[in-house]
Amino acid sequence: MGETITFWVLAVVSVAAALGLVFSRKAVYSALMLGVVMLSLAVLYAVQDAPFLAAVQIIVYTGAVMMLFLFVLMLVGVDSSDSLVETIRGQRFWAIVAGLGFAALLALAIGNVVFTPAVGVGQVTQAKGGNIPALAEMIFTRHVFAFEVTSALLITAALGAMVLAHRERVRPKATQRDLARARFSGPQPSPLPGPGTYALHNAIDMPALLPDGSVSAKSINRVLARHELEDDFTPTDPEKAAMIREALAKGEAEEREHGVEAEQPIQAKDAVIKEDGQ
Amino acid sequence: MNGTTIPAPTIEYALLAPMLIVFGAAIVGVLVEAFFPRYLRKSVHVPLTLLALAGAFLMTVLQVVREGVPTTPSAMGAVAVDGPALFIWGLILVLAIVSTLLINDEDQFVAQAAAVPGSADEEEAVRSGYAQTEVYPLLLFSVGGMMLFPASNDLLIMFVALEVLSLPLYLLCGLARRRRLLSQEASVKYFLLGAFSSAFFLYGMALMYGYAGSLDLKAISAALGTVSGQNTLLLAGTAMLGVGLLFKLGAAPFQAWKPDVYQGAPTAVTALMASTVLVSAFGALLRVFWVALGNLDWDWRPVMWGVAILTMVVGAILAITQTDIKRMLAYSSIAHSGFILTGVIATGAFEQNQGALSAILFYLAAYGFTTVGAFAVVTMVRDAGGEAGHLSRWAGLGKRAPILAGIFAFFLLAFAGIPLTSGFFGKYAVFSAAVAGDALPLVVVGVVTSAIAAFFYVRVIVLMFFSEPAADGPTIATPTIGTSAVVALAAAATVVLGVFPQPVLDLAGEAASALFIR
Amino acid sequence: MTTHYLVLSALLFAIGAVGVLLRRNAIVVFMCVELMLNACNLAFVTFARQHGNLDGQLIAFFVMVVAAAEVVIGLAIIVMIFRTRRSASVDDANLLKY
Repeated sequence: MGETITFWVLAVVSVAAALGLVFSRKAVYSALMLGVVMLSLAVLYAVQDAPFLAAVQIIVYTGAVMMLFLFVLMLVGVDSSDSLVETIRGQRFWAIVAGLGFAALLALAIGNVVFTPAVGVGQVTQAKGGNIPALAEMIFTRHVFAFEVTSALLITAALGAMVLAHRERVRPKATQRDLARARFSGPQPSPLPGPGTYALHNAIDMPALLPDGSVSAKSINRVLARHELEDDFTPTDPEKAAMIREALAKGEAEEREHGVEAEQPIQAKDAVIKEDGQ
Repeated sequence: MNGTTIPAPTIEYALLAPMLIVFGAAIVGVLVEAFFPRYLRKSVHVPLTLLALAGAFLMTVLQVVREGVPTTPSAMGAVAVDGPALFIWGLILVLAIVSTLLINDEDQFVAQAAAVPGSADEEEAVRSGYAQTEVYPLLLFSVGGMMLFPASNDLLIMFVALEVLSLPLYLLCGLARRRRLLSQEASVKYFLLGAFSSAFFLYGMALMYGYAGSLDLKAISAALGTVSGQNTLLLAGTAMLGVGLLFKLGAAPFQAWKPDVYQGAPTAVTALMASTVLVSAFGALLRVFWVALGNLDWDWRPVMWGVAILTMVVGAILAITQTDIKRMLAYSSIAHSGFILTGVIATGAFEQNQGALSAILFYLAAYGFTTVGAFAVVTMVRDAGGEAGHLSRWAGLGKRAPILAGIFAFFLLAFAGIPLTSGFFGKYAVFSAAVAGDALPLVVVGVVTSAIAAFFYVRVIVLMFFSEPAADGPTIATPTIGTSAVVALAAAATVVLGVFPQPVLDLAGEAASALFIR
Repeated sequence: MTTHYLVLSALLFAIGAVGVLLRRNAIVVFMCVELMLNACNLAFVTFARQHGNLDGQLIAFFVMVVAAAEVVIGLAIIVMIFRTRRSASVDDANLLKY
C-alpha cells in the first residue's frame, strides 16, 4: 500500500516536472525541473530495492550532473531563454504528434505484456550479504571489462574538457610594471569617471555629467548601455537618451580605432565564412 | 558482512592484446601531454600512435596465425573475439594507421581550441605554432572503442563501447583549423543527435533486458524460443536498438547528420569516420541482428528492406543536388551503407549467412580504403581559405593536376562500381549474396541507384577533365610524404582489390567461415 | 506494479524525446536527453525487480557513469559554441579594471 501511494505521488510529480522541463521558457527553470525528476526517480529506486542506485542518483546525478548544468547555464547567461519562433514550419505540431504517437506506442507495447508478480531482488541480495556487495561482485567479475573500459570514457571526458576549455597562456603574464607603463603611456592615466557624478543619482547605468550638463562618454558602461538600448530601457528624458546613444556610438568608434576586437567584426566574419562554406 | 570472497575474474590478456595496446597507448599519450614540453609532443605522439596501431595489428595477425580463432567468448563472456571480429579489428587498425598519416600530415587542426575564432588570441596561438596535440590520444581512444563495439558479446559493453568510440569523435569534429564555426556547429550537431540516438539504443536495451532477463546476446537469442506473451516488448526493443545502430551507420531516416558532420569536421577526421566508424558500426549491427535476433529475422527483415531501399535512394538522389565535394562524398557514404545493408538482410541457412557475411566484410574493406583515399585528395586541393570545397572550384582540375585528378576520378569510379576497381567486386559480392538470399527486388533497386550515383560521379569527372579551369582556381598543395603515402596506398588497394580480389575474398570467407560465436 | 513503473518510464522517455524535437537551446535539448536516460534507468531498475536479478541495477549504474562523461563533453562543446557565437568570453569581461 505504501509503495502504491509513493508511486502515484511521485509519478504525478515527475511527469509534471518533466512537462515543465520541456515547456518552461527559461533554461534555469528547466534545469530545476530536471532536478525534481531526478530526485523523484531516486525515491522510486529506493522503493524498488535499489538503495545504492538511489544514493548514486542523488550524489552523481542531482549533485554533480545537475550542478554542472546549472554552472554552465550561469556561464553562458541565465537569461538565454529560447526564441519561440518556429524556424521550420509545422515542426512543433509534428513533434508533438510524433511524441504522442511514440508514447502511445510504447505504452501499448508495455501495457500489452502480462507480467508475472515481480520476483524481487531480495533473494539475490540476501545471498550476497546486501545490495552493495552483490553489485560489487558483479562489477568485479562478470562485468569487469565494461568497468575497466569506462575508465577510457572518463579520461576522454577530462581530456575533452581540457581541450575545449583550457586556454594556455600564449604570451607571458603582464607584470604590475607592464600594466603601469601601459596605463601611463595610454590616453587616460587617471581612473575613468564613475557613474552618476553630478547626475540625479549614482546608479551604475547613470552616466556622469560634465560641467556643461552633457553626458561624459567615458563614464558610460558600454555593456549596460548596449543592453539598455536593445531592451528600450533608455532614460525617460529624450535628450539624455540621445546623448547616451551618441556617446555609445562614439565609444565604439574609438574602440575600433584602438584595434580592440568588438563583437560586431567577429559576427561579420562569421557570415562571410558561412557563405563561403555552402 | 558474511565475509564472502569474490572469485578473481579471468581475462584473456593475449587475446585482447590488440585492444589493450590501443587503450594503453592512449593513456600514455595523455601522460605525454602532461609531462612533455610543447615542442616535443608531436614528435612523440606520431610514432607512439603509429607504433601502437601497428603493434595492435601485428598482435591481431599473430593471434590468427599462432592460436587460430577462439571459439568461446573471453573476458568473462563480455567480449567475443571471433573470425569476423578479428577481420574487422585488422581492417579498422589498418584504416586507422592510414588516417593517422593524414591527421599528422598538415595543419588541419586548430592551434588552440579554447581560443574564440577570429580573436586576437587565436592569431597569437597560430603565430606561435601551437597545435592541439591531444588529437592523438583522442584518436586512440576512439579506435579502441571502435574495436570493442563490434566484438561485444553483451549489450552493456556494446553501449559502453558506443560511447567510447563516439565521445572522442564529437570532440575531434570541432577542432578544424579553418572554417571553425562550421566545424563547431558540426560538433554540436553530431553530439546532440548522437546522444539522442544513444538514448534510443539504451531504451531498446532496457526493453530487451525486460524481455530476456539478461543482456547477453546468447541469452537473448535463447529467450526468443522460451519467453512467450511478451512479444511487444521484444519488438519495441528491437526497433529501438535498431534506431541507435542505424544512426551510427547513417542509414536513411537517420542520415541527416552525416552530410553536415562530414562537411564541418576536419577532413582527416572525416576520413576516419567514413571508413572505420562504418566498419565498426556494421560489425555491431550484425552482431545484434544476427547473433541475438537471428531467429527473429522474419520480423525485422521487412523493416530492414524498407530502410535499405530508402538509404540507397536517398543517398544516390540527394548526392546529385550537392555542390560541396565533402557533402557529396557523405551522401555517397550513405548510399554505400544502403548497399551493405542489402547484405545484412540476406540471411538464411548457414552457408547463406557465411556468403553474406564474407561479402559484407569484403565490401567494407574495399569501401574503407577508397573513401580514405578520396578524402585525402580533398585535403590537397586548396583555396586561400582552406580546402576548396565547392564543386565549381574543381572545374578543370584535370588540366592543372592531371595525376591527382586522375586518381580522384579512379576513386569515384570505384565508388560507382566500375569493373577493375574494388567497388565492382564489393557490389558484386553483396548483391549476389542478396540474390541468393531471395532479395532480388532489393538488388534491382541497388543496381538502379548505383546507376544514378554513377551519373553523378561521372559528372564530377567530366567537370574535372572537360571544362576550362578558372583563372583563380585552387592551388594544389605539394603533398607531404604522409598524404602521398595515403593516396598511393588507397589507390593501390583499390586497384589490387579490383584486379586480384581473390586473396582478400578468401580471407573474408575464412573469417566468416564459423560465423559469430555466442 | 511493474506495468505502472514501466508506463511512467515510457512517458518520461517520450516527454524527453518531444523536448529534444521542440527546444532550440542546446543546453535544454541536452537536459531532455538526460531525462531520456533517466527514464531508461527507471525501466532497468523495474525490470531488475521483475526478473529478480541485479543486472538491471548494475546497468543503471553504468549508465550513470556514461552519462556523467557525456555531460562533461557535451557541456564543453556547448560552451565552446556559445563563446564563439556571442563572445560570452569570460576574459572580455574586464570592465572592473579601472
